[in-house]
Amino acid sequence: MTILLSTVILVLLFVVLVYVAHASELAMVLNGEDKDTTKASRRNGYASLLFLIGFFVAVAWSCKEYLPALLPKSASLHGVETDRLYNEGMILMFLVFILTHIALFWFAYRYNESNNKVAYFYPHNNKLEAIWTIIPALVLVAMAVTGMRVWFDIFDVSKRDTKNMMVLEVTAKQFQWTVRYSGKDNAFGERIIDKEHVSPENELGINWKDAKSHDDFFADKIYLVKNKPVLVKLGAQDVLHSFFLPHFRVKLDCVPGLPTQFYFVPTLTTKEMQEYLSTQPWWQQVNPETGKQKWETFKYELACTEICGRSHYGMQKDVVVVEQKEYDEWMNKQDSYYKTVVQPTLVGNNNIPADKVQALN
Amino acid sequence: MQTVAHGDVHTQDTHHGDHGHHDHHEQSWLEKYVFSTDHKIVAKQFLITGMMWAIVGALLSVLFRIQLAWPDETFPFLETFLGKWAEGGKISNEFYNALITMHGTILIFFVLTGGLSGTFANLLIPYQIGSRDMASGFINMLSYWFFFIASMVMFSSFFIQTGPAAGGWTAYPPLNGLRDTAISKGSGLGFDLWALAMVLFIISSLLGGLNYISTTLNLRTKGMTMFKLPLTVWSFMLTAVIGLLAFPALLAGVALLEFDRLLGTSFYLNDIIINGNLLDYKGGSPILYQHLFWFLGHPEVYIIILPAMGIVSEVISVHSRKPIFGYRAMVMSLSTIVVISFLVWAHHMFVSGMNPNLGAVFMLFSLLIAVPSSIKTFNWLGTIWRGSLRLNSPMMFAIGFVSMFITGGVTGIILGSAAIDIQLHDTYFVIAHFHLVMGVAAFFGMFAGVYHWFPRFYGRYMNETLGMIHFWITLIGGYAIFFPMHFMNDIPRRYYSFANFETFNRFEDMMVFITVSAIIVFLAQLLFVVNFFYSIFKGRKVEGEVCNPWGSTTLEWTAPVERLHGNWPGELPTVYRWPYDYSVNGRDFIPQNEPLKPGEVEHQ
Ligand code: HEM
Ligand SMILES: [Cu+2]
Ligand SMILES: [Cu+2]
Repeated sequence: MTILLSTVILVLLFVVLVYVAHASELAMVLNGEDKDTTKASRRNGYASLLFLIGFFVAVAWSCKEYLPALLPKSASLHGVETDRLYNEGMILMFLVFILTHIALFWFAYRYNESNNKVAYFYPHNNKLEAIWTIIPALVLVAMAVTGMRVWFDIFDVSKRDTKNMMVLEVTAKQFQWTVRYSGKDNAFGERIIDKEHVSPENELGINWKDAKSHDDFFADKIYLVKNKPVLVKLGAQDVLHSFFLPHFRVKLDCVPGLPTQFYFVPTLTTKEMQEYLSTQPWWQQVNPETGKQKWETFKYELACTEICGRSHYGMQKDVVVVEQKEYDEWMNKQDSYYKTVVQPTLVGNNNIPADKVQALN
Repeated sequence: MQTVAHGDVHTQDTHHGDHGHHDHHEQSWLEKYVFSTDHKIVAKQFLITGMMWAIVGALLSVLFRIQLAWPDETFPFLETFLGKWAEGGKISNEFYNALITMHGTILIFFVLTGGLSGTFANLLIPYQIGSRDMASGFINMLSYWFFFIASMVMFSSFFIQTGPAAGGWTAYPPLNGLRDTAISKGSGLGFDLWALAMVLFIISSLLGGLNYISTTLNLRTKGMTMFKLPLTVWSFMLTAVIGLLAFPALLAGVALLEFDRLLGTSFYLNDIIINGNLLDYKGGSPILYQHLFWFLGHPEVYIIILPAMGIVSEVISVHSRKPIFGYRAMVMSLSTIVVISFLVWAHHMFVSGMNPNLGAVFMLFSLLIAVPSSIKTFNWLGTIWRGSLRLNSPMMFAIGFVSMFITGGVTGIILGSAAIDIQLHDTYFVIAHFHLVMGVAAFFGMFAGVYHWFPRFYGRYMNETLGMIHFWITLIGGYAIFFPMHFMNDIPRRYYSFANFETFNRFEDMMVFITVSAIIVFLAQLLFVVNFFYSIFKGRKVEGEVCNPWGSTTLEWTAPVERLHGNWPGELPTVYRWPYDYSVNGRDFIPQNEPLKPGEVEHQ
């Protein structure tokens, strides 16, 4: 009913508009076209000026309102660098945006035919054109060079602190993440992707005969240690997914049949981040649904950012950053998957009837 | 001597031999308006089909915007229209993905590639180079009809059981590479139809492109050297060059994808495990597809924007009563874009898992491609500086184009920096970037073109009052929709709902604001359509012998108001001067076909 009504109103509105428009066209023919188009140009000249001002006011207002709602400072080492690049770049681009828009809409106002009757024949100026070719080129090359340094820092293997590093294996499938830790021996049990090893009970194809797999465990949250480098080994079973830790500025696709990896260093525990946010006015706002201030429910999260099907938007996992001590306590409480799930189903020797192993999730 | 039949003037002029045969038989209605080989009719066919597609594509976006703004509410009318796709008045998550996929596909390929190039390249190339028609009218007609059939195939996928393709317009495997509706409904027949439609579409583009290039190179009238071509023609021809080089890559990419789907090959698939069962695919790489796709995909964005740039250059110059600033620099920057656009594709793949060293190379070229774009921008600003601007609908849309192109373009430079893109990839920030720089900007170029050349099409003006309402709502509304998305620089795109995340629930009010703006802008586009059809029948007529409503120098305006098969009644015009003699020698404008006065020096 409301749909019908609004459609009728809309159609009526359109009809009225067309009538008005038709009438103004007739008037224009009567008035003489030249006078009328000049008047229209003047009107649009003023409108351009108004738009310019209104646009900038709106931009300024939305910056004031929404910049505080951006993600807080980076919780990883390399993120500080990429944030810096982003901020510097955005400031520069913002300047370009402002200056060119002032020129554009000011010219539209200043030189519209009611203000400037005769145009100035000015087909080219090689010096000017050289200037606005060379300056942008130099700036862009400079940006490329500085950006490249950061890019290589992030992916350069030789710069990594591998001794003190923690390795994590994350495998994506529709529509969940499987997170495997290597346990106390700091080494993952081997995975073999063939029909013998992969089964509904052992989707990752872990070779349980490999003793290194015996203390591996699966976690329902990702625990990381402050200031301890992490190497996340990524994979996918079915379709593409993408491993996104927004607070750590980490993102990399999970590709079926092609291992990828991302190295980063978390620098702020969840608690520290909350403490920091508790000082920020935007995060002090009370969320009406929970009745709590926003910073109180803050948490790090993992999301999927490569469209992977109907529940792409549901691939969430909590991420927790803690101090080493707390991490050790947490890890001690984790049960080895082999010992709790696989081993009890073993009959006799170490022959493992994989089909008897319970599904992981 | 002239023979007049059905309002069409056929001429004996055999400047271009292949038109001679038209003289001798009367064309049936079907030949004249449906299976026409006349570039003007083909242009209109592309335009009208494109407009229909634009309405469909925009409507899809309104639907998914409703879901984004009010994820918890139900809208019974949605179920009325969409049936099982919106049970209980709420769009399903499968259908949401189908909506965004078809929205992207339709607008990028069917509206802004087919519709935009098809309309203006067809209308303007023969007119502006002084030719009676395209090099091959028949191939031109085929190009439209392939486009039409492609449209029908794509559209038909809305009505099948499993629904249209739903894996994004980029159609990455394995999501789209496995013919299994359990993985995604859209990966069933819907995707096959998508692929078939794309193949037909590519054929259409290639046929059209061949024609645009050969016509421009071969059928220029006497005196029309390459550097006397208007920038429109340059841009259409270079667009066709890009298309000819890039589309085959997509054709190959999609063909291999269908091999994987239908024949069980493993071009893109390796070690796929579905519900714990290892499939038989071995040795392929999903990343290979991405390379093939973006080898087209990036040049594609220039296929979309180059014609708009050409149109805007022309419109800005005419309505500023001033030559385009730096004509040769404009041609050079267009050509540079053609080359570099083939060297940046992997900037869409920085975090795809490809080798990071590759990322560095592509980053350098990505930033460099901003140089020709900024040259063009400054030259447009240089053109309106000290002009005598006629601020009517075409001109305002051209100015709006420049504004959108700048605002969207500057964020391209941010995204092109690989390290920054780690965070921004696949977020709303990217959506803001490409909708402003390509989506809205190309639409503005197209609107500028339609308002400007409407008199050439129909001998009448479009209504200015409606045009102005359309312009201001679209400019303000376009920014209202896309500017706020810059703040959502961590919010993933292609998400049906954000309720599962603490992190992404920070912009609910903004989501509503954007959706409301989108609905208003959509309605304003309907107003444009109303204006279009109203003006065809009731618009103010163009006065005068020849149709030159804006005081332009280019050849399309030296032809009579009435549209002739063969464009000019007598001989073809001869060209003596460049296309931008505005406000020179005390004259408002000097047409290209006016000989130089004794002692006058040719420009450049
Ligand atoms: C100034 C030069 C430009 C640079 C450096 C640039 C850079 C980029 C980059 C790096 C991306 C990928 C972002 C991501 O997915 O993470 C991107 C996306 C995109 N850009 Fe640009 N861009 C520029 C200009 C343009 C222009 C002129 C157009 C169109 C006319 C355009 C259209 C697009 C589109 C359509 C996408 C998104 C494709 C998708 O993922 O669906 N860009 N741009
Ligand atoms: Cu996913
Ligand atoms: Cu690109």
